[in-house]
Parts: sequence; structure tokens; C-alpha cells
Amino acid sequence: MPDHTSNGMQCHEFDGLLSDALDGVLTGLQLDRFQAHVRTCSACGPLFAEVEAGRNWLKDLTEVEPPVSLVNNILASTTGVDTQRLRVNVSAPQPRIGWVERAQAWASGAMQPIWRTVRQPRFAMSFGMAFFSLSVALSVLGVKPADLRQVSLRPAAIRHTYYNTQARVVRYYENIRFVYEVESRVRELKRNVTPTEPRSGEAAPVKKDHKDDTTQQPEQKQERNYSQTDSRIILASAPMGPSVNDLPVVSVTTYRRFV
Amino acid sequence: MEDVQVVAMLVRRCVAGDAAAWEEIVQTYNRRIYNICYRFAGSANDAEDLTQEVFIKMYRTLTSYDSSKGAFVTWVTTITRNLLVDHFRKTKQDRITDSLDATASSREDAQPLSEQIQDQSAPPDARVRSREVGETVHAALARLSPELREAVILRDLQDFDYREIATVLKVPEGTVKSRINRGRAELARLLQRTYRQVM
Ligand SMILES: [Zn+2]
Repeated sequence: MPDHTSNGMQCHEFDGLLSDALDGVLTGLQLDRFQAHVRTCSACGPLFAEVEAGRNWLKDLTEVEPPVSLVNNILASTTGVDTQRLRVNVSAPQPRIGWVERAQAWASGAMQPIWRTVRQPRFAMSFGMAFFSLSVALSVLGVKPADLRQVSLRPAAIRHTYYNTQARVVRYYENIRFVYEVESRVRELKRNVTPTEPRSGEAAPVKKDHKDDTTQQPEQKQERNYSQTDSRIILASAPMGPSVNDLPVVSVTTYRRFV
Repeated sequence: MEDVQVVAMLVRRCVAGDAAAWEEIVQTYNRRIYNICYRFAGSANDAEDLTQEVFIKMYRTLTSYDSSKGAFVTWVTTITRNLLVDHFRKTKQDRITDSLDATASSREDAQPLSEQIQDQSAPPDARVRSREVGETVHAALARLSPELREAVILRDLQDFDYREIATVLKVPEGTVKSRINRGRAELARLLQRTYRQVM
């Protein structure tokens, strides 16, 4: 911008007063000088018109409505409580439950954290791999995956099949740690074959992996700009005070609306 | 902008594990955060994800909020802004602009910007027209550099004062004013250019 004096005001001074003038807080002599500069300066005159026009355009941008499910999804991803589902459960009539159902409910509650973990993408991947290696192992041992589906799910039968399979696996692999791994996978497999709870209303985790989120707390006075190159190595586990972690965040998965 | 005592109490209750207090915070601020994210990131999907991220971040760091150091809304907006910087660095500018073009013309007949404006003379319905103008301005906003964009969003769409914006952006008030002016002027130039193409 050419910085010349026009009507006793320099262009850089004009620049500093521009916002105040548009906010209507400029008065008296200062306002007069400002207006005189607008009329006479070939650079600042058009600039003022543009800034004013830009501000008027922005007035056309009205507030948008967030999705109706947003609050619910936020609560689900922070406190882990889906209030909508909670309300439905509370209002539903409670049927008489026998001890078997109660035990099942207890079991499903106990499995809940594990199941939630398993559903996370990175666990899903390793679970997939484990399932693959298990089916390879089983087919090597002459058990077809199709047969596995036919396996009786009576506890005694499961135990029988399971121990048979395990015995063969032990013979085949002598690595104790691997056997332990397969054991736990088999247990998970059985669990997943018989889902204990319908999860119709539950939102699935969204594809995003926020692992490389390096957001710092605002009070850490660190300058952030958009052109900064991504040379930081700090990952999601950026240290936060122990007290900060006390709040029980269930999962960092974000939820999308599914309606 | 907010009752400091009320908010401080709300935060204390929340830190103490009061779920109702947290829900109140979510209810109070989700709209503002969503709108900032939507205007900055451009797409509704990104805005939804980002808003959730902001609240997750808030929930985890709520204990670090100090009411003596500033308004809660400034603290919340700073978290939002920091996440937007990260989001911007992750998704490059051109990708944002592309998705914006798609979002701006989310009507069934996706048209380029200039054709949308040409259309404005045809339908007499003022509401349709103002919506289309809004979409055009929204798309132009995405073409501003992020520094100018965030400044005009906070000032002209969120009505923050210069001091608050300076706190959020961690730059002097003079810089804030200058960015706002440049942002508005650049936006006007972009829109004038679009209109001139049509006429
Ligand atoms: Zn001048």
C-alpha cells in the first residue's frame, strides 16, 4: 500500500482505524479525518469499500443447525453413556428374569469392555489376523472352518471340541505362548459366535483414526499456525497430568449419525 | 457473554463427576462449536467429527480450565481452533476446497459457482435466494487463507471481540484487526469476481 498522507491521515493510520470505523466506534475529529481519507486516497477508498462489502456478505451466513444426533453422539463418545438408549431402557417394562438370563446379562456386561476393544479398528485387524492363522492351523489339522460352524454350542460339546483341538495344536506347535494366544482367540471366537446382546441402536465406530492428533491443551502457550510443517513426533499419548486423566473417557471414537 | 460464576460452578460439578453438568455444557456449546467447525472446515461431516473431537478434548482437559484466566467460551474456542489447525494440516487446502465445492452445490443439480449465481435471477423466492447466496459466500470463505478465514469467522460470524480473538489466536490485537480487514476485503474480491463472470 502506498503510504502517503491524505487529509492529514497516513494510510497505515487509516488501516488501524478501519475496524473501529466499521464497528461505529469512531467519533469526532478522528471520524472526520477518516472519512476525508476514504474520499481522497486512491488506495484506501476502494479498500474501505471492499472491507465493508466483505463484512456485509458475511452477514448472509446465518447459523446452521447441528445434526440432531450430535449431542447424543458427543455424550456417547465422552461419558460412554448413550442417553437416548438409556431412556428407552428405563421406560421399557421390566420382564421377570430367571437366573440363567441374569447370569447371561452379567456375562455380557463383563464382556462389554472386551467387546468394545475388539471392535476398534486396530484390534479388529489383529483379530482378523488371529482368525486367519487359527483357520490355517485348523485346516492343517484337518478341521474345516465350515465344520466349526456346525460345532455344537452345548458347553460340554464346546469343551470337548476345544480340548481336542487344543491337544492337536499343542502337538503341532510347541511354542507355549502361541498356544496361549490361540486359546484366548478361541474363547473370543466362541463369544462372538453367540452374541449375548442385540446391538441394533448402537453406532459403529467411524473410520477415522485420531492417533496422530497432536492437539495440545490451550493453556500451553504454544503458537500454532497453518503453514507449520509436520515435524512433530508426539503422538496421542502426549503427556497430560495424572489428574487430567482421571475422568473416565471411554473411547476416542467419534460417532456419526445413523438414522 | 457468559456468567463466570455459573460456568465455573458447572465446570466444578462436572470435574466432580456430575454427568448432568457435563450434558449442560454440551448442550450450551455444541451449536457454537459446530458452526465454527462448519464454516472453517466447509463440510457438515467434518464439522460433526471435529465438534465431537473438541468435546472429547474438553472432557479430558476440563480440570485444567482456570476461570481466573479467562472466559470458558474463550477456552472452548481455543480448543476448537487448535483442532482446526491440526485438521487443516492433515487435510491439505486443495482437498478442503474440493469438498467445499461439492458441499456448496449439494442441491441435486450440482453446478459451478457462477451458474448458481445466474440462477438467482430466475427464482423469485427470497428464501431460496438467500440460501443460495449463503452457499456462495460459504464457498468463497473456503478460498480464504486459514489465517484470514478464522479471523473473520470469529469476528463476523461468532461476534467475539478483538481481545478474545487475540487470546484464541495468540496474536496481538492489531494483527487480529488487520487479518479481519484483509479477510473481508479478499472475500469481497472473490465474490465480485464471481459476479462479474456472470454479468
Ligand atoms: Zn490511504
